[in-house]
Amino acid sequence: MTQLVLFNAFNGLVVGAFYALMALGLSLILNLSGVINFAHGGFLAIAAYLAYSLIPRVGFWGGLVIAPLLTAVLGLVVERLLIRRLYGRDPLYSLLLTFGLAYVFEDATRFLWGAQTLPYPVPPSLTTPVSATFFFLTGYRVFMVLLVAVVVTALFFVLARTRLGIRIRAGTQDLETVSVLGINVRVLRNLNFGLGVYLAGLAGVLAAGMLGLEPTIGSSLIMPSFVAIIVGGLGSLPGTLLGGLLIGVASGVTTVFFPSASEAVIYVMMAAVLLVRPHGLLGTAGRTA
Amino acid sequence: MSHDPWNPKLTRRTVLKGAAMAAAWQLAPRGLSRAFAAEPVKIGFDDTLTGTYAANGKNTLIGCQLAVDQINASGGILGQPAQLLVEDSTSGDAGTAVQKARKLIDRDRVSFLIGNVNSALSLAIGQVSNEKGILHVVPGGHTDAVTGANCHWNVFRVCNTTQMEAAAVSAELIKAGKRWYYITPDYAYGHTLQDGLEKEAQKLGGIKAGADLAPLGTADYSSYLIKAQAANPDVIVFLTQGADMVNALKQAVQFGLEKRFHLAGAQQELEALEGLPPEARVGTWVFEWYWKQPNVPHLDEFVGLIRKKTGKVPTARTWQGFASVWSCALAARSAKSLDGVKMAKAMEGMKLPPEVGLMPDPPFYRPGDHQLMPTLYVGRAQAQGSEPEDLFKVTRFLKGTDIAAPVEQTGCRLSWPHT
Repeated sequence: MTQLVLFNAFNGLVVGAFYALMALGLSLILNLSGVINFAHGGFLAIAAYLAYSLIPRVGFWGGLVIAPLLTAVLGLVVERLLIRRLYGRDPLYSLLLTFGLAYVFEDATRFLWGAQTLPYPVPPSLTTPVSATFFFLTGYRVFMVLLVAVVVTALFFVLARTRLGIRIRAGTQDLETVSVLGINVRVLRNLNFGLGVYLAGLAGVLAAGMLGLEPTIGSSLIMPSFVAIIVGGLGSLPGTLLGGLLIGVASGVTTVFFPSASEAVIYVMMAAVLLVRPHGLLGTAGRTA
Repeated sequence: MSHDPWNPKLTRRTVLKGAAMAAAWQLAPRGLSRAFAAEPVKIGFDDTLTGTYAANGKNTLIGCQLAVDQINASGGILGQPAQLLVEDSTSGDAGTAVQKARKLIDRDRVSFLIGNVNSALSLAIGQVSNEKGILHVVPGGHTDAVTGANCHWNVFRVCNTTQMEAAAVSAELIKAGKRWYYITPDYAYGHTLQDGLEKEAQKLGGIKAGADLAPLGTADYSSYLIKAQAANPDVIVFLTQGADMVNALKQAVQFGLEKRFHLAGAQQELEALEGLPPEARVGTWVFEWYWKQPNVPHLDEFVGLIRKKTGKVPTARTWQGFASVWSCALAARSAKSLDGVKMAKAMEGMKLPPEVGLMPDPPFYRPGDHQLMPTLYVGRAQAQGSEPEDLFKVTRFLKGTDIAAPVEQTGCRLSWPHT
């Protein structure tokens, strides 16, 4: 039993790392632009399908690199043409817009690639378990966790050290002052949105290798990401990371004892956090983004 | 603070509203309806065109459309053209499915109702069709109750019951070992299927090594698989369907579990096998219909027509849609009426003609519970057959009449309206 719990906790970390990757992109956009990007799952699905179409030409690794970048470009365009117009209005406007976009993206993938699940090829080198005991750690999952670790480290490095990152963080604190200091806030928000969508795209390509590739792949993964943000604390990227890992572990461990509640448990966690610590585990009390 | 364009007031409450909307979105109806102007005999289609079972619902629809074309080419229904009205029931929202059924019956005045892939939705809309006295054919909702405890005089079912599938596959599964571990979707279909398999296993000396209920739409099955392997069963029985089946099997094979356990289940579908990478097309299963059968008249013609229409071979779902719509037309032609009761009486015991049945023995609707008695196809999934789309090797053809529990055991008591 102990082994079962430990295995599931460990496995939950792997799954949680994936939730975190998706949630971080959402969180970035939320923090700087105040947009709850409902279309995040849609971007995720589009990246996965793009990679699927690219693989015959550029291979698995090529798909992994190119598809999220293409999706990020789509993100830049969507921000420029649609979302930008709603900044400064009640956040519910952008919420409704991205809500509609999520439908459009889901049906677009269904229209272009069909409703049926597609087989997403993964190189054989990644599909075998790395050890007989830890059979659930396939090369693919180890690779995924390492990639998430690298991406998260790079993201925090960019935010902490680079000019763009410092501006994004400053903008998150006080966008008006940043603007007064002569920084082009429009470009900043545009790039930040693209960066967030890039993370969604990366999560999408990774998900396609583990799960079946079908049009609802994004909508089934978006709720855990929202929960991760709320549990971790609005406005805190480390909090989002922590939230993602926590719900992954909670869901995994619950499977051992009460499997049919493995999905419900993350919402119970969210409710508990909201009641006891409404600003989330690492969020700042009273914050409005 | 007054309105500040730089700092949209995004509070935790707004984010919570957003999360609530996300939840609502997953449950929301995804509209796809087509209305036509003329007043022919209308057939209402209320099935899963979006969500987990979208591929199954769409293939059912393709079969329905072909049947309507053929019916109209052969004189229509009682001299009037047949027309298909299409509604999306969603894959799991009973409220939407019922609302669409009511819309089709009350507003569009359909004479027949077709649906649903999802068992729970089949039961829900069966309630509505019964209340309205509309002939209702269930193409693909398998839970026993549809033609069992919750059977209705107006409801007929084309697909197998879960009991039939369990009985068909058990004799093969027991050869792989006695200890079975179930991974079961947490809704009507999964519950009755697992129940059926447990009963069959018991008869054959099999033992339940464990079972887990997974919520419908579970994306990550790794935690379930960890639990299943810890129980050290002989067979891991996957009862999930649609995208869930693909997710579960794909992960099991990535974990190398197919080398340590026999991976199997009851119902398998071409839609799922096509979505799996070749190495994950493994295991013992039942198909409800297959596009490659020896010596079945009209089969090649049907496969050819669907190929021409879609570029792909028909799946069991395509055939179910096809047989469902044809059954409606045949019932009306036989009853010479569109009256629900008269058509239902005509359908009792009705044999499907060879060009509709497309099985070794002509399937028929059993009087007493209105369950179609078809052929069941037991066999193994294969990475690659003689043709790219030949992903299943049928090893045994079983007769529905030999497999299905007798009517007395189904719990069905048909209660006809007083006429």
